[in-house]
Amino acid sequence: MIARSGGFRGAVPASGGSLTTKLFEINWFLPTLVGVLGLVGVTMIFAATDGAWRLGALQHFIRVGAGGLVMLIVAMIDIRIWYRLAYPIYAIGLILLIGVEFVGVEVNGSVRWLDFGIARLQPSEIMKPAIVLALARYYHDLPSHRINHIVGLIGALILMALPMSLILRQPDLGTTLLLGTTGVIVIYLAGISWRVIGFATLFAAVGIPLFFKFGLKAYQQERLLTFLDPSRDPTGASYHITQSKIALGSGGVNGKGFMQGTQRQGEYVPENRTDFIFTVIGEEFGLVGGLLTIAMYMTVIGMCIWLSLKCKEMFAKLLILGLTTTFTLYIFINLGMVMGLAPVVGVPLPLISYGGTVILAVMGGFGLILSAHLHRGVELPRSG
Amino acid sequence: MPPILPQKETDRNVITRRTAVLGFGAIGVFGVLAARLYQLQVLQAENYKTLSDNNRFNFNMLMPERGEIRDRFGKALARNVQNFRLVMIPERTAEIGKTLDRVSRISFLSPGQRERIEKDIQQNPKFVPILVKDNIDWETFSALNMRLHALPGIVSEAGQGRAYPRNGVFSHVLGYIGRAGSKDIEADNDPLLKQPTFRIGKTGVEAAEEKILRGASGRLKVEVNARGRIVREWPDPTTRATAGKDVWLTLDAELQEFAAKQFATEDEGDDSGGVCVIDIITGELRALLSMPTFDANLFVSGLTQSDMDRMNSDPKRPQYNKAIAGGYPPASTFKMAVMLAALETNLINPAKRVYCSGKTQLGNRTFHCWKRRGHGQMDMRDALKHSCDTYFYEISQIIGIDAIANVARRLGLGKSYDISIGGGISGIVPDGDWKQQRLGTGWRMGDTLNASIGQGFVLATPLQLAIMTARIANTIDAVVPQLVIGQTLPKFEPLDFDPAHLAYVRDAMWAVTSEPGGTAYRHHPFGMDASVNGMQLAGKTGTGQVRGISAAERISGIRKNEKLPWKLRDHSIFVGFAPFDRPRFAIGTIVEHGGSGAKRAADISRAVLGEALRRDGMAETPVVETGSLN
Repeated sequence: MIARSGGFRGAVPASGGSLTTKLFEINWFLPTLVGVLGLVGVTMIFAATDGAWRLGALQHFIRVGAGGLVMLIVAMIDIRIWYRLAYPIYAIGLILLIGVEFVGVEVNGSVRWLDFGIARLQPSEIMKPAIVLALARYYHDLPSHRINHIVGLIGALILMALPMSLILRQPDLGTTLLLGTTGVIVIYLAGISWRVIGFATLFAAVGIPLFFKFGLKAYQQERLLTFLDPSRDPTGASYHITQSKIALGSGGVNGKGFMQGTQRQGEYVPENRTDFIFTVIGEEFGLVGGLLTIAMYMTVIGMCIWLSLKCKEMFAKLLILGLTTTFTLYIFINLGMVMGLAPVVGVPLPLISYGGTVILAVMGGFGLILSAHLHRGVELPRSG
Repeated sequence: MPPILPQKETDRNVITRRTAVLGFGAIGVFGVLAARLYQLQVLQAENYKTLSDNNRFNFNMLMPERGEIRDRFGKALARNVQNFRLVMIPERTAEIGKTLDRVSRISFLSPGQRERIEKDIQQNPKFVPILVKDNIDWETFSALNMRLHALPGIVSEAGQGRAYPRNGVFSHVLGYIGRAGSKDIEADNDPLLKQPTFRIGKTGVEAAEEKILRGASGRLKVEVNARGRIVREWPDPTTRATAGKDVWLTLDAELQEFAAKQFATEDEGDDSGGVCVIDIITGELRALLSMPTFDANLFVSGLTQSDMDRMNSDPKRPQYNKAIAGGYPPASTFKMAVMLAALETNLINPAKRVYCSGKTQLGNRTFHCWKRRGHGQMDMRDALKHSCDTYFYEISQIIGIDAIANVARRLGLGKSYDISIGGGISGIVPDGDWKQQRLGTGWRMGDTLNASIGQGFVLATPLQLAIMTARIANTIDAVVPQLVIGQTLPKFEPLDFDPAHLAYVRDAMWAVTSEPGGTAYRHHPFGMDASVNGMQLAGKTGTGQVRGISAAERISGIRKNEKLPWKLRDHSIFVGFAPFDRPRFAIGTIVEHGGSGAKRAADISRAVLGEALRRDGMAETPVVETGSLN
């Protein structure tokens, strides 16, 4: 259907295609939808700050624009370059995380930020696409007969363990678990045998409780439990969740109307510009707005899966599916938390929540997905 | 170098299969989230809407305007005025101390006030306005307003305050208002009491008629945010505050002021004492005055320590309501009761003469008549006219204390009256039982003799003396006093004395004031102004002894009252009614340490009764809100 010029394998443009050609060949449906979600974010931040452009909405708008540009640039870059850069990017992410360890900035009791003067960077956000890149390359290079080999498995686990342990120290259990889950899913998708999965599950089911019980001191256990379920802390998170549910529930089917949310106006729901922004959607636009938002996310995810199916190379497939997994987990955890189904861990609603590094990381991730799809005809070496 | 191995087709199938598994899993999770959203926003929506409204709406109390207190002609005795005050909103300033210092430079804040302000700031959320100072005069208020820009966090407002005009003449009756204490809040669950700027009646009519004066709070629906700050107001006319109703008193403001002026002396400030003028037919009190007075406005604005000290150290005890709570020996004014007892028991023939030698011997005790040389032969009428003690010593021995006490009680002594202000005492009408109970000793004849001249254990208040006189003048009804104009006229018990006996007593009282030799005769003619000329006063003097007179002093000559220290001088007492032939008002007056009853108390009573009659002739029909007195 597309076969316009030579040098392409099949109907897909290879790296040799001109920039303009490439631009036309990008799957435009996905970036459009991502942009729309970003604009939903701008609107909701505008409402959450009671109609003040300068309290985040304008900045979010600029970030969505900049992120869109980053997304397109990343998309245009040949998949082979990303393949080559996979480990270096991962290494840079690790170095930044180590940097946080030593010169990080403390915010709300956690050290997650690096201050570069002009901007603050959250290296754990960069680590999210980076680990997917690294694991995708790792399994791309790994001969399929070694996937189930113990050495092959340990290599992947080391790739995961390094950033996870650094992020856990910040401490940021939410991101650690998100990273871990993404990694496990990538390993699963890479084709690890059910036998190993079953063995690992058994090991985890026995080992984790044992470690919890005997490996941790009482105060550490308590801290971990509170961290997993902050509603154990009676003054803090349970109030947030109660108010969050009131905001959603009182919105009803049609919502109270744009800028009319009383829970929002009364500032009852904390952090409703960032992690709890879905409460503003639910309160002001009701079930209709909430389901529409969920539908948009599902479309984005479905689209990404569809794009992964189009790719032939292991690296491309795992890259797309891994990034999509991270994106999906973000949404699950955030919505679950806001609706009172999951513990309160500081996870933003991607594209809609206010927050700079997240937007750039997520949109950069979509850039990688687009690049993988755009260069689906390019053959990758296997250096494993 | 291992060869570059092509990926096997099966790898792709595996990944596709597994992607599908995850994809369906994700759809499942999204389904759960959507279902949860449906549960929250559809199934439980009503519940959460209610919770949201509970969050959102608060009801702020609107304070009712307090009812005013008026005299019988509608003149304001307690009214509402603009109260200029400063409040501080602590969250609007970072330097509370510095701001208060600056305020203090313009309008002084005492360390006590500073302490209260800081305590209030600590106990309330930071956005709640805290009273800094109220009842600021206009000049200071303007000066503060000019400098408001330099006083961050300070807001000036004009609220409502209570004012008591008429120079404190009504302070004892009206009482005053103040912030509700913890006991008030315990006894009354009206949430208004918890408002820091709300004031309730603490004493007097303000406290007694609190329910009528207070009104009912309104509610203002306000939308508040998570920190309790008001986002917006929802005006709703049905929840406006209901103003308190006015309370009308039976008192005549100008008569009371006139009476207060009579207590003035040339060199010793106001005399101390009480006076009560009562309508002998209705029992309405026209004047109820305790002297000296105090300024109740001071209590509203917050009494300073020096005010308090001055009041507490004043020997004339200005805060004390002597008209209803001052118990004094009624002295010779009690003789009407003894006389009536003699007539009612039929034990003494009024024409029977008793010889007064100046003293009576009872066992080894000598009871002296006030007139050392004696009155000579006295019948009952003469005895009252001259206030001969000997006569009453003699007849009381025959009548006995029980009969005397019985008549005294029926005349209204020894009982407290509910005139809706608290603090009235019952006084004492002693008899055998009383003494046994109170002192644990038996009644002795000497006690009877002392009681017969209103000394010893007998105690009465100016109010009770006025009631006694009113009942004597009324003949038929046992008049009960009334201070607040109510919905119905009181029904009186029958007095149940022989009218002829009362007429005899009244005639003797007329002799006191109107016949040569009467103890109050020198004040005759009545001396009223022309418009009420011809109205005649009947009454009785009393001189309440406050010290024992030793035998030695009697021999060397009793010291003149004027030469005694104030505290040791006799109480001057007078009761009376007027006009004699068709009685209208009765009066009871006591001037503490005022000397002979024939002088100070009689002068005051004459003037006040005269003024009461003059004003009654001129007075218009009282305007009563609900038409109760038509």
